Amino acid sequence: MATERTTRIAGLALLLALSAVFLLPFVWMLSTSFKHESRIFPPPGRPPQWLPTTDVRDAEGRIMVWYRGEAAAELGVDEAGRHELLLADGRVVTALDEEVEIKQRIGLHWQNYVRAFEMMNFFQNLRNTLFICYMTVLGTVISSSLAAYSFARIPWKGREVVFVVVLATMMMPYQVTLIPLFSVYSALGWVGTFKPLIVPYFFGVPFYIFLLRQFFKGIPEDLSAAARIDGCSEFGIYARIILPLAKPAIATTALFQFLFQWGDFLNPLIYLQDSRQYTLAVALQQFQSQHESAWGPLMAMSTVITLPIIVLFFLTQRTFIQGITMSGLKG
Amino acid sequence: MRDIIKHINDAIVVRDSLIYLIAIPACIVPALLLWPRTAGTGAERRAAAQGRTVIVYWDRHSGHEHESRRVLIEEFNESQNEVHVRTLPIGYNALMEKTLTSTAGGAPPDVLSVDGGIMAQLAAQGLFMPLDDLIAEVPILNPDAFMPHIWDMVCFDGHVWAIPTTTDTYCLLWNKSAFRRAGLDPERPPQTLKELEEYAAKLTIRAPSGAIEQMGFLPWLPWDQSFMWGVLFGGQWYNEETGLVETGSDPAIIASLAWQQSFTIDPSSDNNPPYALPAERIQSFTRGIGDYMSANNPFYSGKVAMISEGEWQVTFIPKYAPGLDWGVAPLPQPEGVPPIAFGPTCVADVIPVTARNPEAAKKFLRWFYSPRPDGRPSPASDYNHAIHNIPPRTEEALQDRFTAHPKFRVFVEQLLHRPVEAYPVTPCTQFLTDTIGRFREWVVFRRMTPEEAAMAIETLVNRELERTRALLERRRP
Amino acid sequence: MTRRERLHLRNGLLFAAPWVVGFLFFQLYPLLMSVYFSFTDYNVVHPPVWAGLDNYRELFFDDPLFWKALYNTLYFTVFSVPLSLVFSLSIAMLLNRKIPGMSVFRTVFFLPSIVPIVASSVLWLWVLNPESGLINSLLQQFLGIQGPGWLADARWAKPSLVLMSLWGIGGAMVIFLAGLAEVPQTLYEVAELDGAGRWAKFRNVTLPMLTPTILFNLVMGMIGAFQYFTQVYVMTGGTGSPMDSTMFYALYMYRMSFYYLRMGYASAMAWMLFVVILTATISVLISSKRWVYYHGD
Repeated sequence: MATERTTRIAGLALLLALSAVFLLPFVWMLSTSFKHESRIFPPPGRPPQWLPTTDVRDAEGRIMVWYRGEAAAELGVDEAGRHELLLADGRVVTALDEEVEIKQRIGLHWQNYVRAFEMMNFFQNLRNTLFICYMTVLGTVISSSLAAYSFARIPWKGREVVFVVVLATMMMPYQVTLIPLFSVYSALGWVGTFKPLIVPYFFGVPFYIFLLRQFFKGIPEDLSAAARIDGCSEFGIYARIILPLAKPAIATTALFQFLFQWGDFLNPLIYLQDSRQYTLAVALQQFQSQHESAWGPLMAMSTVITLPIIVLFFLTQRTFIQGITMSGLKG
Repeated sequence: MRDIIKHINDAIVVRDSLIYLIAIPACIVPALLLWPRTAGTGAERRAAAQGRTVIVYWDRHSGHEHESRRVLIEEFNESQNEVHVRTLPIGYNALMEKTLTSTAGGAPPDVLSVDGGIMAQLAAQGLFMPLDDLIAEVPILNPDAFMPHIWDMVCFDGHVWAIPTTTDTYCLLWNKSAFRRAGLDPERPPQTLKELEEYAAKLTIRAPSGAIEQMGFLPWLPWDQSFMWGVLFGGQWYNEETGLVETGSDPAIIASLAWQQSFTIDPSSDNNPPYALPAERIQSFTRGIGDYMSANNPFYSGKVAMISEGEWQVTFIPKYAPGLDWGVAPLPQPEGVPPIAFGPTCVADVIPVTARNPEAAKKFLRWFYSPRPDGRPSPASDYNHAIHNIPPRTEEALQDRFTAHPKFRVFVEQLLHRPVEAYPVTPCTQFLTDTIGRFREWVVFRRMTPEEAAMAIETLVNRELERTRALLERRRP
Repeated sequence: MTRRERLHLRNGLLFAAPWVVGFLFFQLYPLLMSVYFSFTDYNVVHPPVWAGLDNYRELFFDDPLFWKALYNTLYFTVFSVPLSLVFSLSIAMLLNRKIPGMSVFRTVFFLPSIVPIVASSVLWLWVLNPESGLINSLLQQFLGIQGPGWLADARWAKPSLVLMSLWGIGGAMVIFLAGLAEVPQTLYEVAELDGAGRWAKFRNVTLPMLTPTILFNLVMGMIGAFQYFTQVYVMTGGTGSPMDSTMFYALYMYRMSFYYLRMGYASAMAWMLFVVILTATISVLISSKRWVYYHGD
């Protein structure tokens, strides 16, 4: 059993090391969201600062700096970039920019969050996003599971060929179908509404059809056969046996679709014609202008947008990873 | 076996039938709760109810630049009771997708702002409405009021296609502290290309490991500027008369590429100029510098001592690098080449041919570009001032707010007092500039000679031009 | 056709009906239009003009950048797909045991897939920074070697992007975990009775039972890799720099359609890519008949 324990510990150590690497992007985003704009990017040649810091100010609100190892308060900066400093002993000196280092202490620069919420109509955007997410998840789950059932559990003639067509629709790059597709929605009068973003999801999404098909195929054929003998209809088998058994796969589908829609920016931008309809992902663009990105608020809003997803994943992951419970079945 | 299955089946059937009874109605509730309200603000609906025409304006800019525009548009909406403008920020990430899909797909805005280059490309394809009548009836928009190079950008094929809103130009920025440290006169920027090279060598500092700690000057920082260097060398990327690219036989263009190449060391030669640096070191350096608009912009942080930059830096440097001591001067040129300013493009307002309310759109544009009735400057001038760009109309550029700042003034005067070169108006300008940028990399990293690159650019772009023109020709009735 | 077959066909089509209707309504027209565009000169603004096989001729014989983009894309696919597959499966295996803090680990490995790319790209630029980046600093400190130029170096730019893509395995990992959870414990018990060791159990039970999910992740990984676009667009500004080494197929096609207004040419490119992906996918599907095992059959 000693080897068993060694491998367990080795496995755990490996996991810990790897997860540190995988945590990087998130920790970076979180830490950056609390940094002052001037501290976001590491000074050239130096590693980034992981712990956010803030300026230190004296009782009169003046910025505290280091000057030749001494603490000083900054009185101002002149035209040529020279700093006027008040030393602790009351002397006033003029210092070059490179001689002055702004004193820092670990602290959170909350203002990024305040600014981020000021820069967008958060609750309006959130409501739009939730609506689109909810509707597309609903549509995806219903329509894709139906189609997947057909391809996985009903042995109809030609289904292999049709299934390849389903897959093939994912192989066409969107760049060249975007314009004709827009004309279709435009002809239907749907441009400027949420319909182009929602309705297609009620007609089966190839990615999820494929995913669900793989899982549906794993459910023993005996179950359907038994149900058929009991006079259960095909729809009855789908709704009463397959769907409940494939709950984890359905949950995965719902989660993936929710995540995709939550982050999608291209489609909402293209089809929506009023900034009051914009989703969170589209509104996030407002943090970037021609030459300037408001990195602090951008990171803050990215954190605000990402956190609920993480919590959602954390709380629900048991559901979609538990697998199809067949422990009671003996082969 | 079958018994077990049946048992499970029964259990599932009973349990899950109940679930469906609850689940299905439960699904509808969130949808109803989240159901979106109809588009448009209260103000917009009231305006429509009053019989005002509601038009849509798409802003190429997002962020604070859009905010400046929005404030002015609100002023317009309150100033009269015939037209109500709704604005939509598009941003850059998918500007072309959005613009092209909706104009081609039949759902365009009434007015949109685009880059000069894109405008020329699309106008040549017939996407926009000529604005000749608008220009004729608004005295302030008379052709002579515009900087000549700007007017050439929007007026071609016998029509005016767009109203220019803002423009930019490039100058040399230098770090006075770095000059002092290198023993150079901080008040005297390089006047000639020779001096620029000398200063670049003196201002470059390398670590013992060979890494570049301070870059004196690099022609492709902050980004590829090959088009500009070609022009400043007196070259011509595009011949307006023949309508073709003739770079393969243009010594000035070839010289400008060779000059850029001279900044990387040629390992096979013992005669490299003192400012040349190893190619890998340059690559590492340019990838390693901070974000363009942050306190760690290499010029702000002192990593680059001299750089070619635009007028927006006059506002951004005090914001991000308040301690930086810097100066601004026209870019040095080779000896014997007459002084030239580079003002690549403009941002302009256009009306798509398929716009639903062109008359209302023109009403809005007329307001935006005319001085206010009480004598204050035009909203367009306010807009330029708010986003720190240069107004493309001479008279506005001369307003105090644009010339009072001595550094901003250098930029403005260069546009007013020198001949200005811009991107050419062709249906393939984007392809031209992209191709130049692509081959510049091959040249400076010594996979191609300047002559070969100039020839390759000529061949590729001319082929593209000919194809596009043939296509446009076939459409003429 | 027997009565039974007819019934199956009717039911099969009924269940697939939502997809069939959606395909006919929303997808078929754009697809057919793009076939037509590929034989035309189409600048988006004007109606297309018939050009016969011109676009295809130019692609094959007169556009070196097309071949370069195809090569870059194949390179990326060949390396990133198998690596991601093995990597995500390994992590899923590690996470499929009873270890403390399991939920946290699973969430952590999923994190990079949900952090918005604008936010994470900044981190990436630092990690891959040749001078002071994370990787090169570590290489210098622990191995004493000078790291490569990563995205700045034409030879290393694609490996850098492959490396980056390994962070995005969260989705595949979740799917593998779901697949792993489906392996009936009884099979392991039977194998243990036969005296199977850890490796034998993995080889003879886990792997065969996972083949449906492996097939899924493989096919979807390929389809995604061939159309690789967003990350490279964000990381390199979409210019293909340095020296065309990151000019990927979808990026080139995007430039053709939305920068140079050559929608006809881009459509021809899209169909060539379509043929490549379809061939690859069908080969995998045909071979899958031999290596994929469905427990339900």
